[in-house]
Amino acid sequence: MNKREQADKLFHSERLVPIIFLLLSYLAWQFSGLSGAFVLNQVITRFIRDGILVLSLIIPIAAGMGLNFAVTVGAMCAQAALLFVINYQVNGIAGILLVALLCITFSTLAGLVIGHILNMVKGKEMIVTIIIGTLANSLYQLVFLVGFGTIIPIGNEEIILSRGIGVRNAVDLDMYRNTIDKLWLCKLGNIEIPLFMILVVLLFACLIYYLLNTRFGQKVKAVGNSNEKAEVSGINVNMVRIMAMVLSTVLAALGQLFFLQNIGMFDVYTAHMNADLISCAALLAGGASIKDAKIRHAIIGIFLFHTLFIVSPQAGQNLFHNAALGEYFRSFVAYGTIAFALIINIKNEHKQQVPSNSI
Amino acid sequence: MGNILEIINLSKNYYGIPALKNVNLTVKAGEIHGLVGANGSGKSTLMNILFGNRIIRETGGYQGQIYHRGHLLRLNNCAEAISLGIGMVHQEFALIPELTITENIKLGREITNKLTNRLFGHKYSFVDKKLNAQSAALILNKLGLDIDVGLKVRNLSTNIKQFVEMAREIGRQDLNFLLLDEPTATLNKDDAQLLLNVLLAMSRAGVAILFVSHRLEEIKQICDRVTVFRDGEVVSRYNQGEISTTNLARDMIGHTVTKAVAPTRTVSNNPAMIFKKFSVAMPGEEIRELDLTVYEGEILGITSLSGHGKLALGYGVMGLYPAAGEVIYGKQKLHRMDSRTNILKGIYVLPDDRQGLGILPEHSVADNIIFTGNQVKNLFSLRLPRPFTGFLDQQKAHRYVTQLVHDFEIKCTAITQKIKELSGGNQQKVCIARALTVNPKLLFVAEPTRGIDISAKEKILQMLIETNRSQQTTIVMASSELDELKRICDRIAVLVEGRLFKILSPDASDVEFGLALAGEENI
Repeated sequence: MNKREQADKLFHSERLVPIIFLLLSYLAWQFSGLSGAFVLNQVITRFIRDGILVLSLIIPIAAGMGLNFAVTVGAMCAQAALLFVINYQVNGIAGILLVALLCITFSTLAGLVIGHILNMVKGKEMIVTIIIGTLANSLYQLVFLVGFGTIIPIGNEEIILSRGIGVRNAVDLDMYRNTIDKLWLCKLGNIEIPLFMILVVLLFACLIYYLLNTRFGQKVKAVGNSNEKAEVSGINVNMVRIMAMVLSTVLAALGQLFFLQNIGMFDVYTAHMNADLISCAALLAGGASIKDAKIRHAIIGIFLFHTLFIVSPQAGQNLFHNAALGEYFRSFVAYGTIAFALIINIKNEHKQQVPSNSI
Repeated sequence: MGNILEIINLSKNYYGIPALKNVNLTVKAGEIHGLVGANGSGKSTLMNILFGNRIIRETGGYQGQIYHRGHLLRLNNCAEAISLGIGMVHQEFALIPELTITENIKLGREITNKLTNRLFGHKYSFVDKKLNAQSAALILNKLGLDIDVGLKVRNLSTNIKQFVEMAREIGRQDLNFLLLDEPTATLNKDDAQLLLNVLLAMSRAGVAILFVSHRLEEIKQICDRVTVFRDGEVVSRYNQGEISTTNLARDMIGHTVTKAVAPTRTVSNNPAMIFKKFSVAMPGEEIRELDLTVYEGEILGITSLSGHGKLALGYGVMGLYPAAGEVIYGKQKLHRMDSRTNILKGIYVLPDDRQGLGILPEHSVADNIIFTGNQVKNLFSLRLPRPFTGFLDQQKAHRYVTQLVHDFEIKCTAITQKIKELSGGNQQKVCIARALTVNPKLLFVAEPTRGIDISAKEKILQMLIETNRSQQTTIVMASSELDELKRICDRIAVLVEGRLFKILSPDASDVEFGLALAGEENI
């Protein structure tokens, strides 16, 4: 192996990005002055909150559709399900089951629609999912800002704005708070480990690993590689892509449900806004690319990205005596990761194309 | 034996151009039915219809009936064809490059874990990698291939890919009808024979085979019957024993082709272009310190084995790949390899990558012909004062293109037709027409006849000869077709490992060329 090849290997995003994140996280942690236990507790919490959302991105990548920025749609489905159930005041176990049922129904329908749309725009999936997310956001706002109290009858005055139309900015999830979060809580010194929740996230990870190694998974991989060749191999490409999108959206909806119940309340109009950005960045930070994402990328990525996310505002405060700078650094980190991973991808793709051109 | 396949009065149009006209064909169980025809004669269209390729439906379906084992065949996609026991081996490999050999062979038929079969059904059952690998290795062994089945297909050589693709079809127990689109085109003689033996074994087991090949000897060797296609119609059919390669060739073309031959002559000694230690860094096709002189008015052939640099010369002059060394054109030295300045100086390069670099696929035939001439030399612009120059003179362009389409016998519905809808031969004619529009003094062409049927091939060679004779255009033609080079060139340069090895006269024997290509001195 010559030096050039060695350099290429190191510069490959799968290693380079996580290494950079590790270094940045370590440095920022040193400057932040936060205790290790605090950071670890926070990271574990975020692992539980963000885990399933990040995992929901893997199947569309395997199917060659790139990063699914439309996970925000799944997130909105979860929020809509919650709001409807709170509005009609279904409590207890029945309420939780109804939320889950509605959540899956909404997201399945949304996934079907997104899948159909993406089949019309093959090769431009990522930009289209961004636009779909934005469009869905407007529709969502229309329903909850204007629809409630006009078309949709109000069943719970508490969540309605004082003018009688539209849902309040913040809705309390009192009845779900700390229902499953504290199950099997272990304590290691100062570190709290909610074992049950971690197992749930890992269960979803196993589910995706399993799915990708079934016959269905083989089809997904074949489609991800080449639509045309998969088609002539007897795979119904459009169907597989729609299924990938449905799975992703349903997982995203469930992920958002976990996210919200863990926090215990939510901002009706903004809670879903950064779901796509943060989960995409976390996945890419773990070394995934828009062509290749594995479970380990998701898990490593969540830890690395959120560590940096947690410590950077405090590091900014200490370094520059300005917390806003740290806040700025957060968004820089999120967008920067995505941009970097995209550039590396295109660079690698270009490299592969050169020899295939020659005869 | 019953008919596996029966085609009655099958017709198909693409964009109003007939591709198949009233085709009738039957294939019996256990029969190997050969299918021959020139490029564009409708063989691929027939294959696509039989395999349910989406292209057929998207371009308006077909007329006529097809019966498969007595049932009317109505396919919406390839998956349906496969479920009926129809298989196809594709010319351009339908293998998924990032999957392993095993995964490719077993795609859609994976052996799965029994427990999860029962729990989640076949489709969502866990794939047993070990068992699949064993089974794939077993199938490949039948084909005489001993290879690590865990390798990704991307890393395989073309002939192994061909065997893997073949293995995928052989591995199917439900296969009753197999379509083969030039499976031996990329194989050497021994490997091809191996494959033919496998086909014979399959036919003995009762599988009906429709076999497309350009190698008429193979057709003669293994086919029970052979059907000849020309311009979308069945022109003749022979049974085993009556097959002769000369008859097949005659029926394919429809007339005896007059081969383009340039008479030998003496060429001037004025150099048109001199390459001194010229290097081109084209990956996989590098030229290393080439010294070569091109004389005015000659047709210089350049040949080499693939990967030895014959294609890179044109690309280097065009500036597509980094080049080093000295190039002297006429009396001046070329400082920058830049296609625009070179075209203005009278140098034009027609690349071998027709689809990628040769044509503007979404533009019309007319646009493609006048594009370079108008962009670089303003040949078709209206004469308007300064800031308004560059407006196209529609009438002038129309007149010019119509004349050229007529002269070069370019087959298109109208000059406004998109060029991507034309056949390869006609696209190449358009490319040459575009090159001639800028009236170059020195023309580089690379593989001008690749992927083109026999009659269009001769027309193109004739065009090159005429251009050279009537307009004194010096032509440098890089090609792997020795026979063509020998017919039209004044001299033929043989490159080995990117360097000039020898310049041979077109009268030199095949043995001499063979030795030169292999880089061996004459004894």
